[in-house]
Amino acid sequence: MEETLYLKGEQIKDVNQYDFPGLKKALNIGQENIIAEIKKSGLKGRGGAGFPTGLKWDLARQQDSDQKYMICNGDEGEPGTFKDRYLMEERPLKVLEGIIIGAYASGASEGYVYIRGEYTDAIKIFNKVIEEAEEAGVLGENILDSSFSFNLKLIKGAGAYVCGDETSLINSIEGKRGSSRIKPPYPVAKGLYDKPTVVNNVETLTAAAEIINQGADSYTALGTENSRGTKLICLSGDVNEPGLYEVAFGQTTLKKIIDELGQGVKDNREMKFVIPGGISTALLEKENLDISYTYEDIEEAGSSLGSGAIIVVADGHNLVDLMLNVSRFFMDETCGTCFPCREGNRQVYHMLKETADNGGFSSEQLEIIEDIGDTIHLAARCGLGQTSLNFIKSVFANYKDELMEKGVNRC
Amino acid sequence: MLNVKIDGQKLEVEEGTTILEAAKKAHIKIPTLCYEEGLSIYGGCRLCVVEVEGQRLLQPACATEVEDGMAVETHSPKVREVRKNLFELIIASHDISCELNCLTCSRSDSCELREIAEDIGVNEIRLDPLNKGYKEDMSSYSIVREPNKCITCGRCIRKCEEVQGIGIFTMANRGPSTIVTTFEDKGMGNVECTNCGQCITACPTGALHEVYHDEGVWNALHDDSKHVVVQTAPAVRVAISEPFGDKPGTIATGQMVAALKRLGFDKVFDTNFTADLTIMEEGTELIERINEGGTLPLFTSCSPGWIKFIEHFYPEYLEHVSSCKSPQQMFGAIAKTYYAERNNIPREDMVVVSVMPCTAKKFEAKRAEMNGDVDYVLTTRELARMIKAAGIDLLNLEEEDYDDLLGVSSGAANIFGATGGVMEAALRTAYELITGKELENIDITAVRGVTGIKEAEVDINGLTVRVAVAHGLGNARKLMERIKEGREYHFVEFMACPGGCIGGGGQPISASLSSAEIIDKRIKSIYEIDSSKKMRKSHENPYIQKLYEEYLEKPGSHKAHELLHTHYLARGV
Amino acid sequence: MNYGNLLEKMHNLQDTYGFISETEIDKLAVEFEVPRAKVYGVIRFYSMFYTEPTGKYIIRVCDSLSCHINQSDQVVTTIKNYLDIDDGETTPEKKFTLEIVECLGYCGEGPVMMVNDEVYTHVNSAMALDILKNCV
Repeated sequence: MEETLYLKGEQIKDVNQYDFPGLKKALNIGQENIIAEIKKSGLKGRGGAGFPTGLKWDLARQQDSDQKYMICNGDEGEPGTFKDRYLMEERPLKVLEGIIIGAYASGASEGYVYIRGEYTDAIKIFNKVIEEAEEAGVLGENILDSSFSFNLKLIKGAGAYVCGDETSLINSIEGKRGSSRIKPPYPVAKGLYDKPTVVNNVETLTAAAEIINQGADSYTALGTENSRGTKLICLSGDVNEPGLYEVAFGQTTLKKIIDELGQGVKDNREMKFVIPGGISTALLEKENLDISYTYEDIEEAGSSLGSGAIIVVADGHNLVDLMLNVSRFFMDETCGTCFPCREGNRQVYHMLKETADNGGFSSEQLEIIEDIGDTIHLAARCGLGQTSLNFIKSVFANYKDELMEKGVNRC
Repeated sequence: MLNVKIDGQKLEVEEGTTILEAAKKAHIKIPTLCYEEGLSIYGGCRLCVVEVEGQRLLQPACATEVEDGMAVETHSPKVREVRKNLFELIIASHDISCELNCLTCSRSDSCELREIAEDIGVNEIRLDPLNKGYKEDMSSYSIVREPNKCITCGRCIRKCEEVQGIGIFTMANRGPSTIVTTFEDKGMGNVECTNCGQCITACPTGALHEVYHDEGVWNALHDDSKHVVVQTAPAVRVAISEPFGDKPGTIATGQMVAALKRLGFDKVFDTNFTADLTIMEEGTELIERINEGGTLPLFTSCSPGWIKFIEHFYPEYLEHVSSCKSPQQMFGAIAKTYYAERNNIPREDMVVVSVMPCTAKKFEAKRAEMNGDVDYVLTTRELARMIKAAGIDLLNLEEEDYDDLLGVSSGAANIFGATGGVMEAALRTAYELITGKELENIDITAVRGVTGIKEAEVDINGLTVRVAVAHGLGNARKLMERIKEGREYHFVEFMACPGGCIGGGGQPISASLSSAEIIDKRIKSIYEIDSSKKMRKSHENPYIQKLYEEYLEKPGSHKAHELLHTHYLARGV
Repeated sequence: MNYGNLLEKMHNLQDTYGFISETEIDKLAVEFEVPRAKVYGVIRFYSMFYTEPTGKYIIRVCDSLSCHINQSDQVVTTIKNYLDIDDGETTPEKKFTLEIVECLGYCGEGPVMMVNDEVYTHVNSAMALDILKNCV
């Protein structure tokens, strides 16, 4: 199977070797036409939530404010995901182009690219890119001799997954603890320093740059009605050829992605299940993988495409151990503000830990975990919390008998 | 106006109204925990989540504004289920165990968790309590923190920062390790805490409480070799009956005195007496400073929370602070000298106990400059506990009077308990001492009320005396900044707690009423006591006159300075 | 209040001294006009900031799911045993600080570890020991 390359491609790192075709076009056609084009393309946010990008920019543009901000969210951190690192390291000028176009379209004169602190290479590369772009007149006053001025600053994250949530990220830029904010107000109305703010994922902005460059038609020609264009897939786990792949939505099935791009399960082992969108999504059993890779098909199968991280899990792993691993992640990474998420994840972790040592879940434990799952989903304050038990709930849903097998009942 | 339907009831609310506020209007109580009126919205506990028609997920009522046409279900099966699950999680994190439980808790009678349990109808707890294993913070002379009981709702943090303008607390770490702590975990006694205790009143649980002195007092009472005298601050008498089920603001002076006598105190005296004495000394100081070109404005010094505040944050202004000790400490000094000498009681046999609406007073009594004049400081809450422990039926006691000598006071002394009261009392006396004329309108209403910062001008013998009053340290800071910017006053009253002493950190806490409601009622009673008295000016107190005649000579005398005045430390941060 | 470059300053202090000291927190509090407790709270939110001195080498080993599936736990155990410290601890001579961290974004090349800014992929126990031994 061939990949469909829209975002992936040759390394572009030298500002002077790149002539920013998308940006030039954008400055030429003006804000409203850019937004129209992005809306037409059907581009949705690639960070996981899938909000329509054109609409976000338009909402920000319509805000009446003396100052607006554009933020590129490079705080990629969901286990299994590494696409944004690829783009920032290999295609930083495309990312930069997307940031500037987005800023221009939404009327932002200042912006930040927030890169997680662990991405040391991406930080080095992007720092250099910003510096060179300023020298080349691509950032700063009167960009490319237009009337548009935009300054970009790189912010280094400091090791907190939750900052990938847009409101937490805004708090972090403001020098605060990276706790999520209460929404509404949404950042497009009241974001950084309470000013209208657009927060876009790295992949989203790269796609936007390319869409403006090649026209929305080039994008709508790819994918399905509800899932336009292409998606970067991060394939990892028990698979022969893990790595970053790009496919058009609807071009292929989950199964083929694993079997053909990933060359199948490692060491000829049997597959147990696949996590189709990062560890905040529900697993899909091996029998259910023959589904088209689109937002809608994966949702219909009971999971989510998430950030595009596909983790293949072969037979032979200890399910409780895997759940503990995921549970520990969410427990440690919650911001600690909202009670259901903080206490719920802590309790689930404890229950898993207890059982990992003693074997066999009781039906009471299953009931409690389910109750906590519902409570977190319905009442937690941000996406991290709401989705934190998706995977664990799905493990229990699919392998209940196996998990209760040892049948040691808790008193 | 917006139309909203809450649990089927239609109502109109103004734009900007939250679902929580709208529900209250519809007489529906939505449980809350991290929410406190007057503090910023935190939206963390999620107990107030409700179902909003058309929304997939539940929304926090405290943080969600009503939109036109909105339909809300506040107690649907889904909501109730979520609240019960949430409550189980909260209780598991509250660390109830054999050592740490409701029975021994400072908040056994005012626990908000218990109130919520009742509100949401909890009938089972399936989760074991987590043993968090944190150490108690015993570093402060005034306040103890029991972090294992803390549910990290952040109300103490917000109260300290937003109302008091200090911010000694923070959340640290994240995830399950999220804790409320102080700078570098140093403990409250080792940071810029003013000991005001407002954090205690903000806490929905017993994670914060005063350093208990009641054991020491019991021991002293049972020790026949000791002569134990007690003084009661003005704000205590309008709050002491609340823990016994009375309405806030009920005046229970006589019952309280009777109860203290039954507890076995040898003499029951009144801090009001030394409040009158304070007015004599501080009034004299003010007049001297005005006449002799001393440092102005003069700042009051009765509130030990305020004193620690200025020592930390505005040490360059310490010269402005009146050198007068607070009424509590003046009482201690007079009791252990004048009173003890008159009654031939050796100083070492004297035990001075005070009952205060205040936690900072515990720290004040321990200051080295104070000479150990006050041995134990009970909060109003601790006294209530002692009365209960002695099986005394406070509400039905016959009223009794304070003992003579140090028990007689003016109405002016009593209003020390409310914001603006010291100012009003001082002006009543200063006016008459300077002009020699009787003050016609004795109620100086311009300095009364709960406005954060009050200003007034009083004409005394052709001199326009400019005064200001601030209560709550957040307002104190604002007023200090005004003064820094050059605003000129002669005399400024500062009280650390919102509402003044009646809103002190040692006062009874209600799990259900808002502090604003309670403060209002207590203030009314404070002024009621004043207006019901015949003697309403400090300098008219015959026992004060007698004290000067027999012992101190005159206000500001050498002896008075030795006993009644003090100095301060520039602490910084 | 605009204290936007607080994070950047914290990074600089962390990079310069290996931790953010009390004195430095006091200075930040004065500069940004916020209570020092608040600055402390911010520092303690982020796992890359420390309030105690760290080792010359900060070893970060990923144990998130993709690496975990590829036996990162064995790498973790090897390193713990070799350095004789636990997660979050620093060796007595202040040479190494060990952090078991969440995803480092090299899920296709796991197990992964970082030594200060350097990333190592496809790590196994033997390799991990070599890497540590090369830290001088």
